[in-house]
Amino acid sequence: MPCSNPRRRGVGRRWHIKPFSLIAAASLMIAGGGCTKQGPKLTVAINAGVEGEALRSAALEWGDKSGTQVEVVELPYANLFEKLLLDLTSNTGAYDVIMMDDPWFPKLAENGKLAELPAPDSDFIQSTVDVCRYPYKTGKYYAIPYVGNSQLFFYRKDLFERDHLEPPKTWDEVLIDASKLGFRTVLNAELTERFGYVMRAAPGNAAVTDFMPLFWAYGADMFDAQGNPTVNSPAGVAALEMMLRLGQYSPPGYAGFNADEVAAHLLQSTAAMSINWPAWISAMDDPQKSKVVNQIDFAQMPGERRPGQAELGAWLLGAPSGSRNVSGAKAFIHWATGRQPMKEAAVHGNPPTRRQVFLDPDLMERFRSYPAQLKSLESARPRPRTPQWNEIENAFGIAISKANAGSMTAQAAMAQAQADIAAIVSRAGK
Amino acid sequence: MKRFQIPRGVWWVAPAVGILALMSLYPLFFLVFTGFHSISGEWTIRNFTRMASDRMLGEAFLHTAVFTVAALVLELVCGLLLAILIDSLRRGRAVLRTALLLPMLLPPVVAAVIWRLIYNPQFGLLNGTIRALGFNPSHLTWTSGEGGALASVILVDVWEWTPFVFLLISAALQGLPQESLEAARVDGASRWRIFFDIELPLLRPVLALAAMLRGMDLIRIFDQVFILTQGGPGFATETISLYIYRTAFRFFDFGYASAMSLLLLVIATMLARGLVRQLRPIAAREAA
Repeated sequence: MPCSNPRRRGVGRRWHIKPFSLIAAASLMIAGGGCTKQGPKLTVAINAGVEGEALRSAALEWGDKSGTQVEVVELPYANLFEKLLLDLTSNTGAYDVIMMDDPWFPKLAENGKLAELPAPDSDFIQSTVDVCRYPYKTGKYYAIPYVGNSQLFFYRKDLFERDHLEPPKTWDEVLIDASKLGFRTVLNAELTERFGYVMRAAPGNAAVTDFMPLFWAYGADMFDAQGNPTVNSPAGVAALEMMLRLGQYSPPGYAGFNADEVAAHLLQSTAAMSINWPAWISAMDDPQKSKVVNQIDFAQMPGERRPGQAELGAWLLGAPSGSRNVSGAKAFIHWATGRQPMKEAAVHGNPPTRRQVFLDPDLMERFRSYPAQLKSLESARPRPRTPQWNEIENAFGIAISKANAGSMTAQAAMAQAQADIAAIVSRAGK
Repeated sequence: MKRFQIPRGVWWVAPAVGILALMSLYPLFFLVFTGFHSISGEWTIRNFTRMASDRMLGEAFLHTAVFTVAALVLELVCGLLLAILIDSLRRGRAVLRTALLLPMLLPPVVAAVIWRLIYNPQFGLLNGTIRALGFNPSHLTWTSGEGGALASVILVDVWEWTPFVFLLISAALQGLPQESLEAARVDGASRWRIFFDIELPLLRPVLALAAMLRGMDLIRIFDQVFILTQGGPGFATETISLYIYRTAFRFFDFGYASAMSLLLLVIATMLARGLVRQLRPIAAREAA
């Protein structure tokens, strides 16, 4: 008979009671510690970077205003997506407010993982609002845009003025200007060189981010109306061929470059033109970091067969459905994306998503790039809205990077990208 | 009838066994379980059959094999030569040993970040030095060029982990039986003859041990590649671990990532078994 021995039964009970007592004591201690704070709790997951810093300040301010206990969880960009997706998929309720890069939104919003939010007001710039709806442009709102990033075309104003050049309006003009502005000389046994253009073509996000404005300008699209990949269209191949021609005026090894290498070339005055994000502007104008203070200007993205369009890189705020404080999260998101808090975030360095904040006289005086940023953001185009974007971007980026590294022709690279993307789409459809 | 009693010692080791089971066996069973499940949670073998037609996985395997073999051979050869060289010195052995260990003391991520700065084609220390010596390094793109990227990553691993091999061999050299070496010297054997006929056979177990430990580490290389090249340019330095990481945490296909992890585990186990066999006869001889 089980447990017939009273001694054994006693031992068994002690084995159960002791850990239980310990756990109970620890729980009481933890609970006791928590009791010292009052009010509801709000956990905010932010990106470790300038965008997140502004949200952290806003969250702490909200905590003081509303009597909410605010906990800010800061995660590096490389880990933020996986943490958010794990939380949303497992419905753990670890976070009440989350910060999302806009390409992640379709994956995070599918299957009702995010709570529905009220529609944003008309002051928000349309391109940033469209990406907050699931499905894209037509569905309900599951996020509110917080940071209005879109690419800008950086060029050396002083060099263009010196050589009587106009800022390029097409990619053909970029190529001609790059050939004129690049040079290499040996002066006093020291090599001095400047590259006409610098771009990043490391596999994955880096290569795709710098390629998309070219891809769109040549009239190419990632998918047709039925959702079939069309990257190896003649327009797509022509766009990649143009990228390879621009590569002839880029620094050697650009096929392994990321954002920091591109910025280093601009900061060190060894490159004349580049596509870049507004976050780098403050570094360009910082004498401690830059040799080109006030010499960089910003133009709209060049076009070719179509008008130029920059890539959108907005940061959005949302509330997981599994949050234990959805109403508190909604209230905070509504407040943080209001005009005054967004102006304060802009002072921290976050490009706003509200038109009135862009047009604020104080901010326009402080940030000389705001007119160009507003114009770019209004016409910016998001990355394709598919939950498989991470995988598609990876495959596409590898093919682009291979072509730029010289191991494939543009035609072969686009054919490989087409096959890989078709396989991803097919797998996802199964 | 005598009642069966659990020996008292069992309770003392139970927590350790429990923790070990929780930390090692549970993840392994979970890995197998996930490998046989699709994203939607159904039982499937598709994750395993997909590997046969995955071109990227094939390329990642090839890069991992080249990386493992090249780095392992270089680390063993360099570690052995350094150990013999420093062992033969009359003075300064302790200082040199300590200095040689420094790269190994750095966290791999820190070492990779340092080398990323060194390798930068335009602003890096390496090309800067070559330029200062009067040569033109513009064609040397290191980790940024498809041709030299894998070799550049191998060089970083060799720089960081040769000291580990050196340390093992150096310790073994000091424990070699001096009588045999002395007898060979008295008989007039040359330095090379002593090395190949006496020292090298006696060092075989420690070389096999070093190969096993480094081989296990190399086959699952991740951090250095992730920091230095992120698998690029193109796909030139993508390794299996990086590919598995991307599949699991970027594309959230845990089933396929688990299937690939199991394959890697099988290969690593086979490699380890082969090297353990190298150790066995010597151990048996020593026991006898």
